[in-house]
Amino acid sequence: MTRHGENTMRRIVFAGIALTTLVAGVAQAQHAPTRRKIVEAIEIDAAADKVWAVVGNVKDSSWVERVVGTREDGDDPAVSTRTLTLGSGRTLVEKGRRYDAARRSLAYYITSNDVRDLPAGDYSATISVQPEGTDRAKVEWNAAFYRGYPNINPPPELNDENSEKAVRAWVHASLENLKARVEKGGS
Amino acid sequence: MSHRLGLPLFFLTVLLTAVPTFAQEAYVTAQLAGEVAVVDLGQAKVIAHIPLDGAPAGIALSPDRRTAYVTRPEGQSVAVLDLDARKVTASLAVPGGPLGICVDPQTGTVYVADWYASRVFVLAPAPEGLKQTGEIAVGKSPSGLAVTPDGRSLLVANREADSVSVVDLATARESQKIAVGQHPFGLTLSADGRRAYTANVTSNDVSVIDVAARREIGRVKTGDRPYVVALAGGRGFVTDQYSNTVTAFGLDDLKPAGTIDVEDHPEGIAAAKDGKTLYVANWGDNSLSVIDAGTLKVTGKIAVPDGPRAFGDFLR
Repeated sequence: MTRHGENTMRRIVFAGIALTTLVAGVAQAQHAPTRRKIVEAIEIDAAADKVWAVVGNVKDSSWVERVVGTREDGDDPAVSTRTLTLGSGRTLVEKGRRYDAARRSLAYYITSNDVRDLPAGDYSATISVQPEGTDRAKVEWNAAFYRGYPNINPPPELNDENSEKAVRAWVHASLENLKARVEKGGS
Repeated sequence: MSHRLGLPLFFLTVLLTAVPTFAQEAYVTAQLAGEVAVVDLGQAKVIAHIPLDGAPAGIALSPDRRTAYVTRPEGQSVAVLDLDARKVTASLAVPGGPLGICVDPQTGTVYVADWYASRVFVLAPAPEGLKQTGEIAVGKSPSGLAVTPDGRSLLVANREADSVSVVDLATARESQKIAVGQHPFGLTLSADGRRAYTANVTSNDVSVIDVAARREIGRVKTGDRPYVVALAGGRGFVTDQYSNTVTAFGLDDLKPAGTIDVEDHPEGIAAAKDGKTLYVANWGDNSLSVIDAGTLKVTGKIAVPDGPRAFGDFLR
Protein backbone atom coordinates (compact mmCIF):
# COMPACT_ATOMS: atom_id res chain seq x y z
CA MET A 1 0.00 0.00 0.00
CA THR A 2 1.28 3.42 -0.90
CA ARG A 3 1.82 6.14 1.65
CA HIS A 4 -1.13 7.97 0.18
CA GLY A 5 -3.27 4.85 0.49
CA GLU A 6 -2.36 4.42 4.14
CA ASN A 7 -3.32 8.00 4.87
CA THR A 8 -6.62 7.57 3.08
CA MET A 9 -7.24 4.37 5.01
CA ARG A 10 -6.48 6.12 8.29
CA ARG A 11 -8.86 8.93 7.38
CA ILE A 12 -11.60 6.45 6.63
CA VAL A 13 -11.06 4.74 9.99
CA PHE A 14 -11.10 8.11 11.73
CA ALA A 15 -14.24 9.14 9.87
CA GLY A 16 -15.81 5.88 10.99
CA ILE A 17 -14.98 6.61 14.65
CA ALA A 18 -16.23 10.18 14.29
CA LEU A 19 -19.46 8.98 12.72
CA THR A 20 -20.03 6.46 15.53
CA THR A 21 -19.46 9.23 18.08
CA LEU A 22 -21.81 11.52 16.18
CA VAL A 23 -24.56 8.91 15.95
CA ALA A 24 -24.20 8.18 19.66
CA GLY A 25 -24.37 11.91 20.30
CA VAL A 26 -27.53 12.40 18.30
CA ALA A 27 -29.29 9.65 20.23
CA GLN A 28 -28.68 11.47 23.52
CA ALA A 29 -29.52 14.83 24.99
CA GLN A 30 -27.12 17.29 23.44
CA HIS A 31 -25.56 18.34 26.70
CA ALA A 32 -25.70 17.68 30.43
CA PRO A 33 -28.06 19.70 32.63
CA THR A 34 -25.43 21.72 34.47
CA ARG A 35 -23.11 24.16 32.73
CA ARG A 36 -19.65 24.47 34.27
CA LYS A 37 -17.72 27.70 34.62
CA ILE A 38 -14.02 28.33 34.96
CA VAL A 39 -12.08 31.58 35.19
CA GLU A 40 -8.31 31.54 34.72
CA ALA A 41 -6.11 34.62 34.69
CA ILE A 42 -2.44 35.39 34.18
CA GLU A 43 -0.27 38.46 34.65
CA ILE A 44 2.04 39.26 31.77
CA ASP A 45 4.97 41.68 31.82
CA ALA A 46 4.04 43.53 28.66
CA ALA A 47 1.75 46.35 27.62
CA ALA A 48 -1.89 45.39 27.19
CA ASP A 49 -1.84 46.38 23.51
CA LYS A 50 1.07 44.09 22.86
CA VAL A 51 -0.70 41.17 24.53
CA TRP A 52 -3.91 41.98 22.64
CA ALA A 53 -1.99 41.95 19.37
CA VAL A 54 -1.54 38.21 19.94
CA VAL A 55 -4.85 37.36 21.66
CA GLY A 56 -6.96 39.44 19.28
CA ASN A 57 -5.42 37.94 16.17
CA VAL A 58 -7.81 35.09 15.54
CA LYS A 59 -5.97 34.17 12.34
CA ASP A 60 -3.22 32.69 14.48
CA SER A 61 -4.18 30.71 17.57
CA SER A 62 -0.85 28.91 17.81
CA TRP A 63 -0.40 30.16 21.39
CA VAL A 64 -3.39 28.06 22.40
CA GLU A 65 -2.29 24.71 23.82
CA ARG A 66 -2.16 21.85 21.29
CA VAL A 67 -3.03 24.10 18.32
CA VAL A 68 -0.72 23.57 15.33
CA GLY A 69 -2.70 25.39 12.63
CA THR A 70 -5.41 28.04 12.26
CA ARG A 71 -7.69 28.85 9.37
CA GLU A 72 -10.16 31.72 9.50
CA ASP A 73 -13.22 31.73 7.25
CA GLY A 74 -14.55 35.26 7.02
CA ASP A 75 -12.88 38.54 7.93
CA ASP A 76 -14.99 39.79 10.81
CA PRO A 77 -13.70 38.19 14.02
CA ALA A 78 -17.05 38.94 15.70
CA VAL A 79 -18.68 36.25 13.57
CA SER A 80 -15.97 34.42 11.61
CA THR A 81 -15.39 30.69 11.82
CA ARG A 82 -11.93 29.48 12.84
CA THR A 83 -10.76 25.94 12.30
CA LEU A 84 -7.95 25.02 14.67
CA THR A 85 -5.89 21.97 13.79
CA LEU A 86 -4.63 20.18 16.86
CA GLY A 87 -1.57 18.06 17.49
CA SER A 88 -3.87 15.02 17.50
CA GLY A 89 -4.63 15.67 13.81
CA ARG A 90 -8.24 16.43 14.64
CA THR A 91 -9.80 19.88 14.51
CA LEU A 92 -11.63 22.18 16.84
CA VAL A 93 -13.97 24.66 15.16
CA GLU A 94 -14.81 27.93 16.83
CA LYS A 95 -17.07 30.81 15.84
CA GLY A 96 -16.97 34.43 16.96
CA ARG A 97 -19.64 35.73 19.36
CA ARG A 98 -18.36 39.24 20.01
CA TYR A 99 -15.21 41.20 19.26
CA ASP A 100 -14.37 44.48 20.96
CA ALA A 101 -10.88 45.73 20.13
CA ALA A 102 -11.34 48.93 22.15
CA ARG A 103 -11.97 46.90 25.29
CA ARG A 104 -9.51 44.21 24.22
CA SER A 105 -12.10 41.52 24.60
CA LEU A 106 -13.32 38.73 22.36
CA ALA A 107 -15.89 36.01 22.78
CA TYR A 108 -16.40 32.85 20.78
CA TYR A 109 -17.91 29.41 21.00
CA ILE A 110 -16.89 25.98 19.80
CA THR A 111 -19.15 24.43 17.19
CA SER A 112 -17.25 21.18 16.82
CA ASN A 113 -14.75 19.34 19.00
CA ASP A 114 -13.84 15.78 19.87
CA VAL A 115 -14.05 14.99 23.58
CA ARG A 116 -10.69 13.20 23.28
CA ASP A 117 -9.14 16.62 22.66
CA LEU A 118 -11.35 18.72 24.91
CA PRO A 119 -13.83 16.93 27.18
CA ALA A 120 -16.51 19.58 26.90
CA GLY A 121 -19.80 20.18 25.13
CA ASP A 122 -21.35 23.49 24.07
CA TYR A 123 -18.21 25.36 25.08
CA SER A 124 -18.15 29.17 24.92
CA ALA A 125 -15.65 31.68 26.25
CA THR A 126 -14.61 35.28 26.65
CA ILE A 127 -10.96 36.30 26.71
CA SER A 128 -10.01 39.83 27.72
CA VAL A 129 -6.81 41.78 28.29
CA GLN A 130 -6.72 44.53 30.92
CA PRO A 131 -3.83 46.93 31.44
CA GLU A 132 -2.15 46.92 34.87
CA GLY A 133 -0.12 50.06 34.51
CA THR A 134 1.84 50.62 31.30
CA ASP A 135 4.06 47.54 31.16
CA ARG A 136 1.89 44.91 32.67
CA ALA A 137 -1.37 43.28 31.65
CA LYS A 138 -3.80 40.78 33.04
CA VAL A 139 -5.43 38.27 30.75
CA GLU A 140 -8.65 36.68 31.88
CA TRP A 141 -10.21 33.66 30.21
CA ASN A 142 -13.80 32.84 31.17
CA ALA A 143 -15.07 29.54 29.84
CA ALA A 144 -18.54 28.02 30.04
CA PHE A 145 -19.22 24.45 29.00
CA TYR A 146 -21.00 21.23 29.79
CA ARG A 147 -19.18 18.02 30.71
CA GLY A 148 -17.83 15.89 27.88
CA TYR A 149 -20.51 13.22 28.29
CA PRO A 150 -24.00 14.60 27.70
CA ASN A 151 -26.11 11.84 29.16
CA ILE A 152 -26.82 10.47 32.62
CA ASN A 153 -24.10 8.41 34.39
CA PRO A 154 -20.99 9.78 32.63
CA PRO A 155 -17.78 7.73 32.50
CA PRO A 156 -15.29 9.10 35.07
CA GLU A 157 -13.06 10.85 32.53
CA LEU A 158 -16.03 12.79 31.14
CA ASN A 159 -17.89 13.64 34.35
CA ASP A 160 -18.35 17.21 35.58
CA GLU A 161 -15.28 17.19 37.83
CA ASN A 162 -12.82 15.71 35.35
CA SER A 163 -14.14 17.68 32.37
CA GLU A 164 -13.68 20.85 34.38
CA LYS A 165 -10.19 19.78 35.44
CA ALA A 166 -9.15 19.09 31.84
CA VAL A 167 -10.55 22.34 30.44
CA ARG A 168 -8.92 24.31 33.25
CA ALA A 169 -5.55 22.65 32.55
CA TRP A 170 -5.87 23.45 28.81
CA VAL A 171 -6.77 27.08 29.48
CA HIS A 172 -3.99 27.42 32.03
CA ALA A 173 -1.39 25.94 29.67
CA SER A 174 -2.57 28.25 26.88
CA LEU A 175 -2.18 31.31 29.08
CA GLU A 176 1.31 30.17 30.09
CA ASN A 177 2.18 29.79 26.40
CA LEU A 178 0.89 33.30 25.76
CA LYS A 179 2.93 34.75 28.60
CA ALA A 180 6.08 32.98 27.45
CA ARG A 181 5.64 34.14 23.86
CA VAL A 182 4.85 37.77 24.64
CA GLU A 183 7.53 38.17 27.32
CA LYS A 184 10.17 36.46 25.17
CA GLY A 185 9.30 38.83 22.34
CA GLY A 186 10.90 41.72 24.30
CA SER A 187 9.21 44.99 25.18
CA MET B 1 -28.33 75.59 38.18
CA SER B 2 -31.69 74.85 39.71
CA HIS B 3 -32.70 73.22 36.45
CA ARG B 4 -29.66 70.98 36.48
CA LEU B 5 -30.43 69.84 40.01
CA GLY B 6 -34.11 69.60 39.32
CA LEU B 7 -34.01 66.78 36.85
CA PRO B 8 -32.07 64.26 38.96
CA LEU B 9 -34.22 65.19 41.96
CA PHE B 10 -37.31 64.55 39.90
CA PHE B 11 -36.06 61.10 38.94
CA LEU B 12 -35.04 60.36 42.52
CA THR B 13 -38.54 61.25 43.72
CA VAL B 14 -40.10 59.04 41.08
CA LEU B 15 -37.77 56.21 42.06
CA LEU B 16 -38.52 56.55 45.77
CA THR B 17 -42.28 56.70 45.35
CA ALA B 18 -42.09 53.87 42.85
CA VAL B 19 -40.32 51.44 45.19
CA PRO B 20 -43.35 50.28 47.24
CA THR B 21 -45.44 49.80 44.08
CA PHE B 22 -42.77 47.72 42.40
CA ALA B 23 -41.58 45.86 45.50
CA GLN B 24 -41.32 42.27 44.42
CA GLU B 25 -39.05 39.35 45.02
CA ALA B 26 -37.05 37.21 42.62
CA TYR B 27 -36.05 33.65 43.46
CA VAL B 28 -32.88 32.98 41.55
CA THR B 29 -31.68 29.41 41.17
CA ALA B 30 -27.91 29.76 41.48
CA GLN B 31 -26.84 26.45 40.04
CA LEU B 32 -23.13 26.62 40.84
CA ALA B 33 -23.52 28.28 44.25
CA GLY B 34 -26.04 25.62 45.25
CA GLU B 35 -28.82 27.85 46.50
CA VAL B 36 -31.93 29.80 45.71
CA ALA B 37 -31.14 33.48 46.26
CA VAL B 38 -33.99 35.72 47.37
CA VAL B 39 -33.69 39.14 45.71
CA ASP B 40 -35.65 42.14 46.91
CA LEU B 41 -36.22 43.91 43.61
CA GLY B 42 -37.13 47.19 45.30
CA GLN B 43 -33.87 47.29 47.21
CA ALA B 44 -32.06 45.69 44.26
CA LYS B 45 -30.14 43.23 46.41
CA VAL B 46 -30.03 39.66 47.66
CA ILE B 47 -31.71 39.58 51.07
CA ALA B 48 -31.66 35.84 51.80
CA HIS B 49 -29.96 32.63 50.73
CA ILE B 50 -31.81 29.31 50.72
CA PRO B 51 -29.13 26.58 50.45
CA LEU B 52 -30.06 23.82 47.99
CA ASP B 53 -27.63 21.32 46.50
CA GLY B 54 -28.14 19.18 43.40
CA ALA B 55 -27.55 22.05 40.94
CA PRO B 56 -30.94 23.82 41.25
CA ALA B 57 -32.13 25.01 37.82
CA GLY B 58 -35.86 25.16 37.10
CA ILE B 59 -38.42 26.93 39.24
CA ALA B 60 -42.21 27.23 39.32
CA LEU B 61 -44.62 28.75 41.83
CA SER B 62 -47.88 27.42 43.26
CA PRO B 63 -51.11 29.18 42.22
CA ASP B 64 -51.22 31.03 45.60
CA ARG B 65 -47.57 32.11 45.04
CA ARG B 66 -46.53 30.90 48.51
CA THR B 67 -44.66 27.77 47.47
CA ALA B 68 -41.83 27.33 44.99
CA TYR B 69 -40.90 24.03 43.35
CA VAL B 70 -37.28 23.78 42.28
CA THR B 71 -35.70 21.07 40.11
CA ARG B 72 -32.35 19.59 41.09
CA PRO B 73 -31.05 17.78 37.99
CA GLU B 74 -27.88 16.56 39.72
CA GLY B 75 -29.76 15.71 42.91
CA GLN B 76 -32.50 13.88 41.00
CA SER B 77 -35.26 15.51 42.96
CA VAL B 78 -37.70 18.40 43.21
CA ALA B 79 -37.49 20.62 46.29
CA VAL B 80 -40.46 22.34 47.89
CA LEU B 81 -39.76 25.83 49.28
CA ASP B 82 -41.91 27.85 51.65
CA LEU B 83 -41.33 31.34 50.24
CA ASP B 84 -42.58 33.24 53.30
CA ALA B 85 -40.43 31.20 55.69
CA ARG B 86 -37.63 31.12 53.08
CA LYS B 87 -36.77 27.49 53.67
CA VAL B 88 -36.89 24.08 52.05
CA THR B 89 -39.77 22.09 53.53
CA ALA B 90 -39.63 18.90 51.48
CA SER B 91 -37.96 17.14 48.58
CA LEU B 92 -39.27 14.42 46.29
CA ALA B 93 -36.89 12.07 44.49
CA VAL B 94 -37.57 11.70 40.77
CA PRO B 95 -35.46 9.69 38.32
CA GLY B 96 -33.50 11.01 35.35
CA GLY B 97 -32.66 14.68 34.93
CA PRO B 98 -35.45 16.91 36.26
CA LEU B 99 -34.96 20.34 34.66
CA GLY B 100 -37.98 22.19 33.26
CA ILE B 101 -40.92 22.64 35.62
CA CYS B 102 -44.35 24.27 35.63
CA VAL B 103 -47.53 24.38 37.68
CA ASP B 104 -51.12 24.01 36.50
CA PRO B 105 -52.65 27.36 37.55
CA GLN B 106 -56.04 25.68 38.11
CA THR B 107 -55.14 22.60 40.13
CA GLY B 108 -51.63 23.26 41.43
CA THR B 109 -50.39 20.01 39.84
CA VAL B 110 -46.67 20.16 39.12
CA TYR B 111 -45.15 18.95 35.84
CA VAL B 112 -41.45 18.15 35.61
CA ALA B 113 -39.57 17.43 32.37
CA ASP B 114 -36.91 14.70 32.33
CA TRP B 115 -34.06 16.15 30.26
CA TYR B 116 -32.48 12.73 29.70
CA ALA B 117 -35.61 11.01 28.48
CA SER B 118 -38.94 11.60 26.70
CA ARG B 119 -41.29 11.98 29.63
CA VAL B 120 -42.89 14.45 32.00
CA PHE B 121 -43.54 13.53 35.63
CA VAL B 122 -46.87 14.45 37.19
CA LEU B 123 -46.52 15.50 40.83
CA ALA B 124 -49.36 16.46 43.13
CA PRO B 125 -49.10 18.67 46.21
CA ALA B 126 -49.50 16.49 49.29
CA PRO B 127 -49.22 16.88 53.08
CA GLU B 128 -45.61 15.57 52.85
CA GLY B 129 -44.81 18.06 50.07
CA LEU B 130 -45.24 16.38 46.71
CA LYS B 131 -46.08 12.90 45.51
CA GLN B 132 -45.74 11.44 42.05
CA THR B 133 -49.07 10.51 40.50
CA GLY B 134 -48.16 9.80 36.91
CA GLU B 135 -45.89 10.09 33.91
CA ILE B 136 -46.66 11.38 30.42
CA ALA B 137 -44.75 10.36 27.28
CA VAL B 138 -43.64 13.35 25.18
CA GLY B 139 -40.81 14.08 22.70
CA LYS B 140 -37.05 13.72 23.23
CA SER B 141 -35.33 15.88 25.89
CA PRO B 142 -38.33 17.86 27.13
CA SER B 143 -37.26 21.22 28.57
CA GLY B 144 -39.56 24.25 28.89
CA LEU B 145 -43.24 23.56 29.57
CA ALA B 146 -46.42 25.38 30.56
CA VAL B 147 -50.09 24.74 31.27
CA THR B 148 -52.72 26.91 29.53
CA PRO B 149 -54.66 29.24 31.89
CA ASP B 150 -57.83 27.14 31.43
CA GLY B 151 -55.95 24.08 32.71
CA ARG B 152 -56.82 22.04 29.64
CA SER B 153 -53.47 21.61 27.92
CA LEU B 154 -49.84 21.17 28.81
CA LEU B 155 -47.34 22.35 26.19
CA VAL B 156 -43.84 20.90 26.24
CA ALA B 157 -40.81 21.97 24.20
CA ASN B 158 -38.93 18.84 23.09
CA ARG B 159 -35.38 20.03 22.61
CA GLU B 160 -34.00 17.08 20.67
CA ALA B 161 -37.19 16.47 18.67
CA ASP B 162 -37.63 20.03 17.33
CA SER B 163 -41.24 19.93 18.40
CA VAL B 164 -43.79 20.99 20.97
CA SER B 165 -46.01 18.32 22.51
CA VAL B 166 -49.58 19.26 23.30
CA VAL B 167 -50.85 17.13 26.17
CA ASP B 168 -54.58 16.91 26.78
CA LEU B 169 -54.73 17.09 30.58
CA ALA B 170 -58.18 15.46 30.77
CA THR B 171 -56.64 12.24 29.48
CA ALA B 172 -53.02 13.03 30.44
CA ARG B 173 -51.87 11.99 26.97
CA GLU B 174 -50.04 13.72 24.19
CA SER B 175 -52.61 14.61 21.56
CA GLN B 176 -50.37 16.34 19.05
CA LYS B 177 -46.83 17.33 18.16
CA ILE B 178 -46.23 20.72 16.58
CA ALA B 179 -43.08 21.14 14.49
CA VAL B 180 -40.99 24.18 15.50
CA GLY B 181 -37.42 25.44 14.95
CA GLN B 182 -34.28 23.57 15.96
CA HIS B 183 -33.82 22.64 19.60
CA PRO B 184 -36.62 24.53 21.34
CA PHE B 185 -35.68 25.11 24.99
CA GLY B 186 -37.80 27.70 26.81
CA LEU B 187 -41.56 27.73 26.24
CA THR B 188 -43.71 30.72 27.20
CA LEU B 189 -47.48 31.13 27.01
CA SER B 190 -49.27 34.45 26.58
CA ALA B 191 -51.46 35.48 29.54
CA ASP B 192 -54.60 34.50 27.62
CA GLY B 193 -53.08 31.18 26.58
CA ARG B 194 -53.67 31.77 22.88
CA ARG B 195 -50.03 31.98 21.83
CA ALA B 196 -46.95 30.02 22.79
CA TYR B 197 -43.35 31.00 22.07
CA THR B 198 -40.36 28.69 21.98
CA ALA B 199 -36.74 29.84 21.95
CA ASN B 200 -35.01 27.62 19.39
CA VAL B 201 -31.40 27.27 20.54
CA THR B 202 -29.69 26.13 17.36
CA SER B 203 -31.82 27.74 14.63
CA ASN B 204 -31.46 31.10 16.44
CA ASP B 205 -35.10 32.02 16.28
CA VAL B 206 -38.41 32.00 18.13
CA SER B 207 -41.35 29.91 16.97
CA VAL B 208 -44.75 31.49 17.48
CA ILE B 209 -47.53 28.96 17.98
CA ASP B 210 -51.28 29.43 17.65
CA VAL B 211 -52.33 27.21 20.55
CA ALA B 212 -55.95 26.62 19.44
CA ALA B 213 -54.94 25.91 15.83
CA ARG B 214 -52.08 23.69 17.05
CA ARG B 215 -49.57 25.06 14.58
CA GLU B 216 -46.62 27.36 14.17
CA ILE B 217 -47.70 30.68 12.65
CA GLY B 218 -44.45 32.64 12.62
CA ARG B 219 -40.72 32.80 13.21
CA VAL B 220 -38.65 35.64 14.65
CA LYS B 221 -34.85 35.85 14.24
CA THR B 222 -32.86 36.23 17.46
CA GLY B 223 -29.23 36.50 18.49
CA ASP B 224 -27.05 33.43 19.04
CA ARG B 225 -28.43 30.58 21.15
CA PRO B 226 -31.75 31.92 22.39
CA TYR B 227 -32.84 30.50 25.75
CA VAL B 228 -36.31 31.64 26.76
CA VAL B 229 -38.92 34.33 25.96
CA ALA B 230 -40.68 36.78 28.31
CA LEU B 231 -43.65 38.95 27.36
CA ALA B 232 -44.27 42.56 28.39
CA GLY B 233 -46.00 45.60 26.94
CA GLY B 234 -46.93 44.00 23.62
CA ARG B 235 -43.43 42.75 23.00
CA GLY B 236 -41.51 39.54 23.30
CA PHE B 237 -38.04 39.53 24.88
CA VAL B 238 -35.68 36.64 24.31
CA THR B 239 -32.34 36.02 26.00
CA ASP B 240 -29.48 35.27 23.56
CA GLN B 241 -26.95 33.23 25.53
CA TYR B 242 -23.99 33.59 23.16
CA SER B 243 -24.64 37.16 21.99
CA ASN B 244 -25.02 38.52 25.53
CA THR B 245 -28.14 40.32 24.37
CA VAL B 246 -31.90 40.35 24.71
CA THR B 247 -33.77 40.54 21.40
CA ALA B 248 -37.10 42.39 21.51
CA PHE B 249 -39.86 41.81 18.95
CA GLY B 250 -43.42 42.99 18.40
CA LEU B 251 -46.07 40.43 19.34
CA ASP B 252 -48.43 41.68 16.66
CA ASP B 253 -46.12 42.11 13.70
CA LEU B 254 -43.43 39.62 14.84
CA LYS B 255 -40.82 42.13 13.68
CA PRO B 256 -37.58 42.95 15.50
CA ALA B 257 -38.04 45.86 17.92
CA GLY B 258 -34.46 46.19 19.17
CA THR B 259 -31.45 44.51 20.72
CA ILE B 260 -30.45 45.15 24.32
CA ASP B 261 -26.92 44.49 25.55
CA VAL B 262 -26.87 42.59 28.82
CA GLU B 263 -24.11 40.58 30.51
CA ASP B 264 -22.41 37.24 29.86
CA HIS B 265 -24.69 34.27 29.07
CA PRO B 266 -28.17 35.64 29.78
CA GLU B 267 -30.60 32.83 30.62
CA GLY B 268 -33.84 33.17 32.62
CA ILE B 269 -35.96 36.25 31.93
CA ALA B 270 -39.29 37.35 33.41
CA ALA B 271 -41.51 40.42 33.46
CA ALA B 272 -42.48 42.12 36.71
CA LYS B 273 -46.14 42.37 37.73
CA ASP B 274 -46.45 45.89 36.34
CA GLY B 275 -45.43 44.65 32.89
CA LYS B 276 -42.91 47.47 32.61
CA THR B 277 -39.75 45.90 33.93
CA LEU B 278 -37.87 42.77 32.93
CA TYR B 279 -35.30 40.85 34.93
CA VAL B 280 -32.63 38.78 33.20
CA ALA B 281 -30.36 36.25 34.95
CA ASN B 282 -26.83 36.51 33.53
CA TRP B 283 -25.34 33.07 34.16
CA GLY B 284 -21.76 34.05 33.34
CA ASP B 285 -21.72 37.42 35.06
CA ASN B 286 -23.59 36.38 38.23
CA SER B 287 -26.07 39.22 37.99
CA LEU B 288 -29.61 40.22 37.14
CA SER B 289 -30.00 42.92 34.49
CA VAL B 290 -33.00 45.18 34.91
CA ILE B 291 -34.60 46.27 31.62
CA ASP B 292 -37.22 48.93 31.00
CA ALA B 293 -39.68 47.19 28.69
CA GLY B 294 -40.77 50.50 27.15
CA THR B 295 -37.45 52.18 26.42
CA LEU B 296 -35.52 48.91 25.93
CA LYS B 297 -32.74 50.28 28.15
CA VAL B 298 -30.89 48.54 30.94
CA THR B 299 -31.70 50.49 34.09
CA GLY B 300 -29.79 48.50 36.67
CA LYS B 301 -27.81 45.44 37.63
CA ILE B 302 -28.12 43.31 40.76
CA ALA B 303 -25.32 40.98 41.90
CA VAL B 304 -26.44 37.40 42.60
CA PRO B 305 -24.60 34.17 43.56
CA ASP B 306 -22.70 31.92 41.13
CA GLY B 307 -24.38 30.47 38.04
CA PRO B 308 -27.86 32.02 38.07
CA ARG B 309 -30.26 30.24 35.72
CA ALA B 310 -33.71 31.20 36.97
CA PHE B 311 -35.32 28.92 34.39
CA GLY B 312 -39.05 29.36 34.91
CA ASP B 313 -41.47 31.46 36.91
CA PHE B 314 -39.03 33.17 39.29
CA LEU B 315 -40.75 36.43 40.27
CA ARG B 316 -43.55 37.12 42.73
